[in-house]
Amino acid sequence: MAAIRSLAEPARDRAAGPNSNSNSNSNSSPSLHTNAISIQDCSLTFGSVRVLNQVSLDIQSGEFMSILGPSGCGKSTLLRLILGLLSPDRGGAIVHHVPREEIGIVFQKPVLMPWQTAIQNIELPLSIGPQRAKQSKAERREKAEWSLELVGLTDFRNHFPQQLSGGMQQRIAIARALAANPSILLMDEPFGALDEFTREKLNIELLRLWANPDTGLNTVVMVTHSIQESVLMSDRIVMMSPRPAKVQDIVHVPLSHPREAEMQEHPEFLSTVREIRKQVKAL
Amino acid sequence: MTTKFKDMLYPVAFAVGLILIWEAVVRLFDIPLYLLPAPTDIARVIDGELLRNMGVTLYEAVLGFLLANVLGFLTAILFVHSRPAEKGIFPLAIALKTTPVVALAPLLVIWLGTGYWSKVAASMIICFFPILVNSVKGLKAVEHEAWELFSAYKGTKAEIFWKLRLPTSLPYVLSALKISSSLAIVGAIVGEFVGSNKGLGYLVLLSSYHLDTPVMFSAIAAAAVAGLILFGIIASVEKRVIFWQKVDEA
Repeated sequence: MAAIRSLAEPARDRAAGPNSNSNSNSNSSPSLHTNAISIQDCSLTFGSVRVLNQVSLDIQSGEFMSILGPSGCGKSTLLRLILGLLSPDRGGAIVHHVPREEIGIVFQKPVLMPWQTAIQNIELPLSIGPQRAKQSKAERREKAEWSLELVGLTDFRNHFPQQLSGGMQQRIAIARALAANPSILLMDEPFGALDEFTREKLNIELLRLWANPDTGLNTVVMVTHSIQESVLMSDRIVMMSPRPAKVQDIVHVPLSHPREAEMQEHPEFLSTVREIRKQVKAL
Repeated sequence: MTTKFKDMLYPVAFAVGLILIWEAVVRLFDIPLYLLPAPTDIARVIDGELLRNMGVTLYEAVLGFLLANVLGFLTAILFVHSRPAEKGIFPLAIALKTTPVVALAPLLVIWLGTGYWSKVAASMIICFFPILVNSVKGLKAVEHEAWELFSAYKGTKAEIFWKLRLPTSLPYVLSALKISSSLAIVGAIVGEFVGSNKGLGYLVLLSSYHLDTPVMFSAIAAAAVAGLILFGIIASVEKRVIFWQKVDEA
């Protein structure tokens, strides 16, 4: 676990200190950043359809990055490349600077097993693959309990997914990802299916988890099609063009941490949203 | 609990009413016994002999049912893991399904004799198709994201099967079992029609030769009860195994 965190330390400081990243807009200190994952010149073609077009992107350790783009532009495909579920066309490469098992995933749908209780669902990533041999049943359960507590659903540990609301189900999905102690969390429109109230609440909750030093989590890559959400949550917003998707622009968000829902009225928030919207129109 | 009891009460009350009307009509219009026996005439011929024959038919049906479902499920597993097998065997299975089991039964008797096995085989043939089709469908019903989740955490093929595919398929499997639980009796009786000296099918045939309509009715009723028993067992198993589909209804 210590090894997992070592890379995270500089980022942790930043996440904890409110104004320390206000200069990120000027891009003045690139050398301070270590990359967690580098996407190098990745294209992807399904049959005759080109989904990604020479995407190059460095995901920096410790940042909260949003990938913003219209529906069906290939944002989710990009996440699947990072996860290794898809491979890029020849010439492209994904370089993982952290071990692969430190990458967690949350989908738009919670994807919970309906025959398992909340706690059993959270144990899932710990009880399959290489993780399985690493810990005893009791240790797995302990980790799952810890993770369940992080998302504040301890009282629902023995509930089945169908007995929980959509927001709770998604929190269980987040807890499941956290249980495996990822340093990088990939999220594919994690709140896209939720109502506005729940969504905003979970936005802030996720930021708290990201900043929480108890979790090994230090980098989040979130795919979203909500401009507001991307500005509220991220340090950097990667704007993708419509298909075939490529990186259109990277926008730095000039807001400090920790973020609050009220920040959506800040002039900086509004101006960033406006700037992005202008770019979206131009696409 | 009370609503459940009430739900049971309605069909029972209705059946009792029908039986009473039936009895009254037969007596009132003096309908001959060979044409339509009164319920009391039928009740009079229910004896150990009937139950013994019912036991025989149930035995054949259950054995055929079990063998067909095990075989069908294993074939489905083979299909989802091997496309050539699916492509090669599925059309043959469909051909077998479209062949009426009634047409096959005499052949089964020639091959397997007039004992149990020809009936078990007829029952198997009729039960095989529902479980095969549903299991293939169920084993493939895994959500793409769920598969990605298992892959992302490097789940092995065996883990994907036991922890994802198998539970996902269970609702489909159980619904096939429900369908084939009543079909199994049909298979056994068809087999008995063709060549046998025991079982409900034999009893129906024999009573028709003797124009012993009350016995025929009792055998038909016993066949219906046998089907209901199998169906009831499977339905209660389903409720226990597929508990997660009931949770949200509560």
